[in-house]
Amino acid sequence: MKQYKRFLMMWDQTFSQILLGLVLLITVILLGLASPFFMTWDNWRNILDQSALQVIIAVGMTFVICTGGIDLSVGSITALSGVCMAVAMHAGVSVEMAVFLGIIAGAIVGMGNGLLISRLNLNPFIVTLGTMAVVRGVALIITKGIPIYGFPREFTWLGNGHIGPLNPPMLMAVFIALLGALVLNQTKLGNYTLALGGNEEALRRSGVAHKLYKLIIYTICGITAAMGGMVVTARLNTAEPLAGSMFELDAIAAVVLGGTDMKGGRGSITGTVMACLLLGVLRNGLTILSIPSYYQQLAIGIIILVAIIISELRLKNAPGHGNTIYLGG
Amino acid sequence: MRRNKHILAVFLLVIFMLTLVGCGGKSNESKVVNQGNDPAKQVSDPKVEENEKILMDQLQPLPEFNKGEKIGILVITLANPYWVTLKGSYELAAKELGVNVEVMAAPTEGDTKSQLETLQAMTAKDYQGLIISPIEPYNLVPGVVSANKKGIKVVNLGPGINVDAVEEAGGKLDGRITVDFAEQGQRAAEYIVEKIGKDGGKVAIIQGIPGAGQSEGRTAGAKKVFEDTRGIELVSIQPGNWDRNTAYNIATNLLQAHPDLKGIFCCNDVMALAAADALTAAGKRDGRIIFGVDFIDEAKEAIAAGKLDGSIAYSMDAYAKAGIILCLKTIQGMEVPKQVNSPLAVVTRENIQEYQNWH
Repeated sequence: MKQYKRFLMMWDQTFSQILLGLVLLITVILLGLASPFFMTWDNWRNILDQSALQVIIAVGMTFVICTGGIDLSVGSITALSGVCMAVAMHAGVSVEMAVFLGIIAGAIVGMGNGLLISRLNLNPFIVTLGTMAVVRGVALIITKGIPIYGFPREFTWLGNGHIGPLNPPMLMAVFIALLGALVLNQTKLGNYTLALGGNEEALRRSGVAHKLYKLIIYTICGITAAMGGMVVTARLNTAEPLAGSMFELDAIAAVVLGGTDMKGGRGSITGTVMACLLLGVLRNGLTILSIPSYYQQLAIGIIILVAIIISELRLKNAPGHGNTIYLGG
Repeated sequence: MRRNKHILAVFLLVIFMLTLVGCGGKSNESKVVNQGNDPAKQVSDPKVEENEKILMDQLQPLPEFNKGEKIGILVITLANPYWVTLKGSYELAAKELGVNVEVMAAPTEGDTKSQLETLQAMTAKDYQGLIISPIEPYNLVPGVVSANKKGIKVVNLGPGINVDAVEEAGGKLDGRITVDFAEQGQRAAEYIVEKIGKDGGKVAIIQGIPGAGQSEGRTAGAKKVFEDTRGIELVSIQPGNWDRNTAYNIATNLLQAHPDLKGIFCCNDVMALAAADALTAAGKRDGRIIFGVDFIDEAKEAIAAGKLDGSIAYSMDAYAKAGIILCLKTIQGMEVPKQVNSPLAVVTRENIQEYQNWH
């Protein structure tokens, strides 16, 4: 019986991904028919390049949302880590070390979020809303509001180098997405991530160090955001204190669109990646069609609403809902 | 049942997409009606003609017109009336010169990433030239390089793209047209200083987004005048981020901290109007000078009504036209000057009558 339920749930998850894939395919076909410039490799390279950044940040966000939490500070973390790398490189630190320091900065902020949320049992929304402002403030203070410009070539390569027809951010995104899917589906950490969102109390009673796992998950989110910061900074050859504004909302949108439940307990990296692609395709397509920016915001907003409605309907009808079977995908 | 709902949702999405694609087709043909740019209202104005002539002199010899070149234009955001007005001016000039233009923008004033993504998507199209105005000096650099690679000419209008950064990235700008931002700040500050008079007093500056070219330039120009004038004390420079609400709050706070403040220079009209509102709301508008930049329609009315003291103007129509002509020259392979500067006009309560038909 349990196996039957598990099968049904798996099918449900697969179905939602097929659905998302289908929407993506239809969008691509429609845009391809609407504009001769859409289906060119140059343009697809742009789309993949832009989606890569979003995938990197959204993978960390998927983990956080799977636990039923949220991280609003990722946009600010991208700015702070970029600024840290920039300051380090301008101080003569080697590129590898500067990148390491920037990522550590992101990890520290993530860890801070995790500590406040798990140890003091505070609401993730409020905590990360606070750190969002604090971290942005720190980035502005360090730079005095003025972008830091000009880095060694080895660093800018990370943002706009060439590896065959692809570029480093794309490969990074693929790597992080694969790693994320592996961790979420195949490891203890992944199981506990979903369990934290499904029933934290049950997890606590079974003697799992649930606070530690929460801490780890927020730290992961900080690290992926910092990697996003590295990509942005390298691509523009500039560290901007205002970089990454709205990244948090883009990432949350992609995660939710990808079928991860805001209440936690279910999530899918594959879905997140497809959602990032869908949003990337959509933004690019609307620009290619010369549709004014007003409509772009409207379109993306509506798509997110539709996704939440679907997710809600699915949840209501989901077999085994309320049961303690947790699934990644 | 469940599957039916899914199918319904997909169906709705598809319909929605089709509608958007449909809109896209239409939006290219749609006429843009803009206050201040309405052709019916367009009266030839000696002031504008004078302004246009100075610009055109810099652009001699003129390129061939009516050849139907396709030019892509990227402005900062259509959520700011300045860029909306400029968009109208571009479309008007394009009609007059017989070229096709498409104007795109970032969703908001600070969204540097989206602006770059928009530019990159534009380089995948069949434009022969691009006219771009960046949010800050660095955010569009990779997009300029992609345009160069595809052989699309790139003209920078307004806020400057950092030329060193473009060169380092292996690209180049084909032309540049701008207004002298420092001069805008300087001329506004000179008027404020003159109005405050011999007694002197405290003044403040509300900047745009720190680091943005037009904001830094205007601030520097005004700051220099204030600091060089005996008796004038510059008490604060605050970032208003081009945002009405932020500027409103800053003005309120400034007045709280310095009740004897005599003048505020704001780096654009939107913020100047907000500062004027804030002072009026506090009942302390009288005897204080508030000056903006850009001379948008709302500022024109506010100056005429005595709400705002003045603004720095340059003809948007002439500016946009000169931008397109410059871009045409680069497309047709003609020599272009290193930089084209738009002339400025100081519009105040005293001379607003002469600028009623300004566009």
